[in-house]
Formats: sequence, structure tokens, C-alpha cells
Amino acid sequence: MGKHVVVIGAGPAGLETSASLAKLGFHVTLVEKEDVSGGHLKKWHALFPTLLSGKDALETITKGLDSSIKIQTATKVTGLEAVNDYFTISGHNGWQEKADAVVLTTGFQLFDSHRKEEYGYGIYENVITSADLEELFASGKAFVNRHGNKPERVGFVHCVGSRDEKVNNLHCSKVCCITAVKQAIEVKQLLPDAEVFCFYMDLRMFGRHYEELYKEAQEKYNIQFIRGRLSESTEDRDGNIVVKVEDTLLGKPLRIKVGLLVLMAGMEPAPDTKPLANMLGLKNVSDGFIQPLDEVLHTNSTEIPGVFVAGTCSGPKSVSDTLADARSAALAVADYLKS
Amino acid sequence: MKLEGKRLIWQDYQKEIADDHYFYARSCIRQTFFPGAEAVFVKILKDELGKDIHDEQHHTSCTGIGYHSDVVPFDTTMTVVARQFALMTEAGYENYAASCVTSFGLYTEILDTWHHFPEKEAQIREYLFKATGREFTKPKNLAHASDIVYKFRHQIAAKAKYKLVDKNTGKPLKVVEHIGCHYSKMFPHKGIGGAEYPYVLSGMIEAWGGEVIDYPERRHCCGFGFRQYLVQANRGFSLSCSKKKFESMEPYEPDMIITNCPGCPMFLDRWQYALSEMEGKTYGENHNGIPVFTYEEVAGMIMGYDPWEIGLQVHQVPAEPLLDKIGIPYDSSRKFKGKNGEDLGMPESPSYLKFYSE
Amino acid sequence: MGELYNRLADDIRFVESLKACINCGTCTAICPAAEFYNYDPRVIATTVQSQDDEKIRELMSSDAIWYCGECMSCKTRCPRGNAPGLLIMALRSVSQDMGFFTESEKGRQQLAVKRTIGDQILASGYCVRPDMVDPGMHPEQGPVWDWEHKNLIPVMNKLGANYNGEGSGALRKISQDDLDELQKIFEITGGQERYDKIEEFSKEKAAEMGLEFGTDTNSEYFQHIYTANNQKHNHE
Repeated sequence: MGKHVVVIGAGPAGLETSASLAKLGFHVTLVEKEDVSGGHLKKWHALFPTLLSGKDALETITKGLDSSIKIQTATKVTGLEAVNDYFTISGHNGWQEKADAVVLTTGFQLFDSHRKEEYGYGIYENVITSADLEELFASGKAFVNRHGNKPERVGFVHCVGSRDEKVNNLHCSKVCCITAVKQAIEVKQLLPDAEVFCFYMDLRMFGRHYEELYKEAQEKYNIQFIRGRLSESTEDRDGNIVVKVEDTLLGKPLRIKVGLLVLMAGMEPAPDTKPLANMLGLKNVSDGFIQPLDEVLHTNSTEIPGVFVAGTCSGPKSVSDTLADARSAALAVADYLKS
Repeated sequence: MKLEGKRLIWQDYQKEIADDHYFYARSCIRQTFFPGAEAVFVKILKDELGKDIHDEQHHTSCTGIGYHSDVVPFDTTMTVVARQFALMTEAGYENYAASCVTSFGLYTEILDTWHHFPEKEAQIREYLFKATGREFTKPKNLAHASDIVYKFRHQIAAKAKYKLVDKNTGKPLKVVEHIGCHYSKMFPHKGIGGAEYPYVLSGMIEAWGGEVIDYPERRHCCGFGFRQYLVQANRGFSLSCSKKKFESMEPYEPDMIITNCPGCPMFLDRWQYALSEMEGKTYGENHNGIPVFTYEEVAGMIMGYDPWEIGLQVHQVPAEPLLDKIGIPYDSSRKFKGKNGEDLGMPESPSYLKFYSE
Repeated sequence: MGELYNRLADDIRFVESLKACINCGTCTAICPAAEFYNYDPRVIATTVQSQDDEKIRELMSSDAIWYCGECMSCKTRCPRGNAPGLLIMALRSVSQDMGFFTESEKGRQQLAVKRTIGDQILASGYCVRPDMVDPGMHPEQGPVWDWEHKNLIPVMNKLGANYNGEGSGALRKISQDDLDELQKIFEITGGQERYDKIEEFSKEKAAEMGLEFGTDTNSEYFQHIYTANNQKHNHE
């Protein structure tokens, strides 16, 4: 065959797409702006619903890479152009290649929780994000809050930066609900005496064994699920966080004091996605995520023949969905290059 | 608490405030309860800062309290506000300075409404013309009076005789800032510092030497709630809101409260008295209460104006302990006297809350 | 969609205050009224969202729409950009125009607001005046206010006010010409009509309750609505 594909972004989507394409016999270059591949998964301690270690997951995915794949790290793509029936791709450091097809796997960026001002991230020390918590888990350090105390109560706030027009994000980030359930369980395992609360609007337990994990959180770990969106948090004199939320099922406003508040930061389009889409002339990227040709039938193709997407650059996905999407993208590319 | 975090947010909520030539619209509540505060504002702007401020005699209430207690319809309020704008236009001004936070919020809401519904603006222009023959240009700059004091806070600090510092310990005074709800909760970008961490008063406090206290119920309403105070049967609501705030700030041992809304200082002052009479509970040290001031009064205090000229005697919670702490002199014998020293009698002493007289 | 819902939908504030509500409770969580009263702004939004005229009529006739203090804290936070506080204002407007307000204890209080704040605006050009804050009706104002109220002219004079004076300054007398303009605005824009309706519907209610209606703040009906509290408004 001898056709050449450039994959942009070496997170789980880019790694898996490249591996699959190589297995199908294509020449693949995987471009990554950072020095090391792996994306957000590098920092993630454990994955739902099985608590598979993030490190192990990344190792397994990386092992699938064929030695023929060229990995071009530390290269930020600055030029991307369709020329007749091929593409030219160039990087900030002078790197340049031609390709018969391009796969965008630029991923997501974590919502910047500072923007939910009323939650006090960056102001109140014991307000942290779900990503901060993963780092804390991964560090293996003692589980204490920023004041060095074992929190007696821990709160998880769902939908931070998701489903929120105040921060211009109407979309659901999909993975935060189940991540909160997973992290709540992990906290309970570390601090069996702590009271743990999840403040949610809707629990979207859409995947296999998610509902089971939720049930386990309730039955085995006695985690309290309160249906209400957090309105604000403040700090008391001892550094505890006081949250205001309505228990909408009881119709009662509540004030709850916690020693640690975890914000389930949602997914936003990666800032690099839109410029790349613009370079190619992809039009349908109004919210920053790339719109595939058809959301039901052609989820990896775009309006431009030869340009494909995989993973979270086309919308929030779990790691398992991302991997499946990556393999599916490889087949779509193969289908295109054969014709 | 990490102050840098707040500073980052403050950067996002800067607003343009005109430098000079203000059309001043007074506040019904401010005039009723703390007229000295408005007098201080005008004096500082004119005499200390050399600014041009037009004190309009023909403007009326904006009807804001009637609007927010729902007896005055929106069209009526908009037309009355349009009349204020017409007076500004006729006086040759384009920078509107509102003394009242309810008014400021209302002007902001109305300008926003007209922006989204230009046909509404056209209708109000017609109403105004029909009723009064007047026409108007919208303000080029709309500010609350506290925005203006904020803008000149450093100039005021440079001229000040005193600082918000305990003269005995040299430590900054601990100050609670209370922002009127309608200052920025409706339109965060129209207020300095936004809605969650407003900086308008914090900026003054910092510039004048004090230290701002952040306490859990900082954002909670003082409890005016319009009809919730206006009607006697509802006043429990108002009282309970203020109490929630006092209880929440008490552990931080605040030296004083500064407010930017006309109603809040009155409620936070009077409800401390009412709570002391009802429950025997007083806040602050030695049953002195926590004194509550308007930002204009605080500016006047540090400028060294006579406390009784700016009206600190009409507060129920006594100002003397704070004046002593800062080292501001006052003549107790003149506290309840008239302008020329005439005898006006004296208020009764409350049962629990401290009372100072000669 | 019924007539009442359509009337609401005619109000600009309604258009600005209610898109689709997701029932998340962000508003109720920080609502000062929800903390004090048995009140839930989220439920108000859902009820109106049902577009069910019968439910909306019930709402407009109930105490529920009169608990809000219009602090607008809800507007800052709603993730859908709604503002229950503005929605309440639209509901209260229609409730008064249709006469539903006299059917609840809290709603009936609108006559008290009209005869105090409402009439004061047209009579003096101010919402509030110091002479109006009578220490008898406002014992919470305390002894300093009592003293000030007894010495209004000299105290106001000392504090730099131009109390009842000509020209500009705090508490100046608003001229008759200015008051006439205000009156004219009220007549043209529906303000006077609102006042008249509050009086008319309240008068009917007073007759039904067998209370003397009168024209001022001393009548039996006024005193009743100003002070009545059945103590059923709060959380248990």
C-alpha cells in the first residue's frame, strides 16, 4: 500500500489510532507537541469502573505501537493544508511531511475551575479539582487536606464547567459522574470514617458496570448522594469549606461544612483544535469540538475527504470509548485510502 | 485564603469610571438615614479632589423601592429613570453618578433591557415626551458613587490624616465589607471586582490601611428584601438575615463594617440594637456592637472631618470605640447638640448595647 | 398555553428570566427567602414552566410569590441564565393586575406597600422620607432614631441636609412642577392604574372580611394586613 497517514496528538486516541493504522499496513507519523506522549492519561491514577491503573493502561496502549511508527514529539503543528489529493503538515521546528490522510486526535483540555468563581478554586486552599485529587492519589502521600488535616467530610461537586451557560459550556462532559463515584469510593477506602457527599444534578451512569459502581458506593461505602447543584462555597475560620446547595428531592436548602471539596472539572475542546480545523477549512467547530460528518453513521469522517477525527476532539469520551473510537477511525482511514 | 486568587478575578472585572463632571442623583434611603454621608461625598469630590459634580434639584426618586416591592410597574419606573437621564442631558452632563445601589442596579437593568429590546426604549422615549416634553441621551458613563470613591481611593489616602490602623498595636483594623446585592449580583461586569469577590470596598479598605475579612456569609443579603422590611409582619425575615451575618462574622472579631448600599448600613446598625433588646446579645467587644459605616463616612473619618459633622452620632451602634482605636479626636459634649450648640436633649440608652454621651 | 401564561410571556422580565429550567436548585441554595420561609424558587420556575394555567393561577393566589426579597442572588448563579427573582416580579405584576393578590395573607400586604411607599413617591418625590419612618411603627429603629425623629430639623441641618428647603441638596422639597411630571408619567405608563387596581381589589377583600377599608394607614384593613402573620410561613 505504502500510503502515509499523519496523526496529530499522542494521547490515548492518537496512540491507538497509530497502532491500528500500522497494523493495517500504513506508514504512520504521530505528532505530539509535548516531549512525552500519553496526554492526560499520564497523570491519571486509576480508571473507572475497574480502578485499572492509569500507568498500566498507558503502558499497554503504548506497547501496541509498531516500531515502524514515527513518533515526532516536541512538535507543535503550525501548518496544515490540503493540496490536491494529499496534505502538507509542518511544525514550529521546521519538521514537515506529506500525508495521504490526516487524523486529528487533539483531545480535550480540563475546564479551568478558577472560572467558577463562586466555588473558590485558587482562593480557598481546600477546594481542589478531580485532576488534583488523581495526582494526590498517585503521589501515594498521606491523604490530608491543604491544612494537613484528615478531612472528616469530603464533598464532590459534579458538573463543574459542564452543563453551565455561565461559562459557555452547554455540553455534558460525560465522564465526571462516574469519576466522582470512583473517587468518592477511593476516598472512603483511604478514610473509612469520613462522610462523603456527591452533589449532582443528574447521575449519568451510562456505561457497563457504572450503575453497579454507584450502587456499591451507596451500599458498601455509604456515600451520600444529594441532588442539587452547588451554589457557592466559602471558607470558615478553620479552613473548612462551607457549601450551599439545595437538596432538591427534599426541597430544602442546606449548608454543609467539608474539610475538602473536590470539583469535577469537565472537558473543554483543546485550544489547539480550532486553529488546526481553521487551517484545514473545517467549518463546523462552533463550540470548539469538531463536528464529524454524521454523529450516528460517520463519526470519524469530516466534511473534508481525508481528514478524520478520533477521541475527545470531537466531544467528551471515556478512555474506553476513546480507544474504540481510535480503532474505528483507523478503519475509516483504511476505507478511504483503498478507494 | 489565597489573596492572589482573588486578585486574578479582580483583573477580569475592571470597569471604566469617568474622571470628572458627574451628574449626581441622590438616594432616598441615604438622605433619610445618613444624609451626612452624601454631604461628605460631595465635599470630598469638590473640595479635596477639585471635581465638578452637579447636584440636581429636579430629580426625584427613581421609584426603585416601589418597583422592587412591586407596586410600580416596569414601564413607569423606566420612564421615571428616562426623566432623570433627560435632566442629566439638559444639565449638559453625560456621566451619571448614582448614590443608591438599588438605583444603580435599576439603571443598569434598564440600559441592558433597552439594549436587548430597542423597541422598548423607543416606547419609553415616547412616554417621556408625552408626559413631560423631555428627551434624553443615555449616559456615556454610569457609576455608583462608591465606584468613584474607589477610583480616587489613593488620592484620598494621600490626603488622609488617619489610617484604618489600631494606633496602639499598629495593626490594620479588621474590616467587614458588605456590598449591596444590586451592585453586581445582577450584572457582575458592571461592578468592580464582579459579583463573587467585589473589590470596590476591599480596594478602599486596603488603600486606607485596613485588612479585609472574608467570612462565610459575606455574600448574604442584609435582609432588606423590600416588602420583607416595609411590612411589619415580615420583618422577621429581615432580622434573621442580618443575624446570620453577625453570627458568621463574629468569630473574626471585626472592628467595623463598611457598606456601599444605602439600606444595608441602616439595617446592620438597627438590627444589632433590636437583637440586643430581644435576646440580650451584643456583638463586638464590651457590648459595644460592631460599628457600621458608609464608605463616604469612612472616607470622611480618615480625612479628619468632625465625626458629628458627618453624622456618626445618628448610628445606633456607637462609633466612639472605633474612633478611639484609630485615634480620631471628638468632643463628646457636642455629640447630640445642634449645629450651633443648641440643646436637643439626648437619646435614651439601650438596655444592653453600649451608649456613649458626654 | 393559557391566558395567564400568555400574560406572563408579554412581560419583558419574563422573557429574560425563564428559559428552560433544569431544576438544579442553585437558586434555592443561596436564596435568603428560602432559608427563612417555606419557599423554593426552583419550584416556582418549574410550576410556571409547566404552562398550566390552573397551577399558575394557584401560584399567583398564594403566599409563595410574595416571599422573595428581590436580592437577585439567584440571577448570578443560574447555570441556564435564568432569574427566578425577575420571574417573581412578572408573577406579582399579573397577580396584582388580575386581583389574585388579595387571596393570600402576604399578597394582601401590597395595599400597605402602596399606601406607604407608593403614595409617598407621588406625594413627595421620595420613596422614603425621615418623617415617614415613625418610631411607633418602627420600634426596631431604636432610641437614637427616636431622638433624631423628634429633632429632625436641627439634626438634618447639622448633617448638611437641605431639609424641606428650596433648591438642591439632601431631602430638599421637590417642586410641584416636578411632582406633576411624575404624576403624569404614572398616568401614561400604567403606574396610576396599578395603584388604583390595588385599592379596588383590596376594597372588595376588605368588604368580604368585614373590615373598615378607609383611605389611609389607620384603617382596620390596613392595620390587619400590615401586622397579620399566621405563623405558617416558615420552616418547622
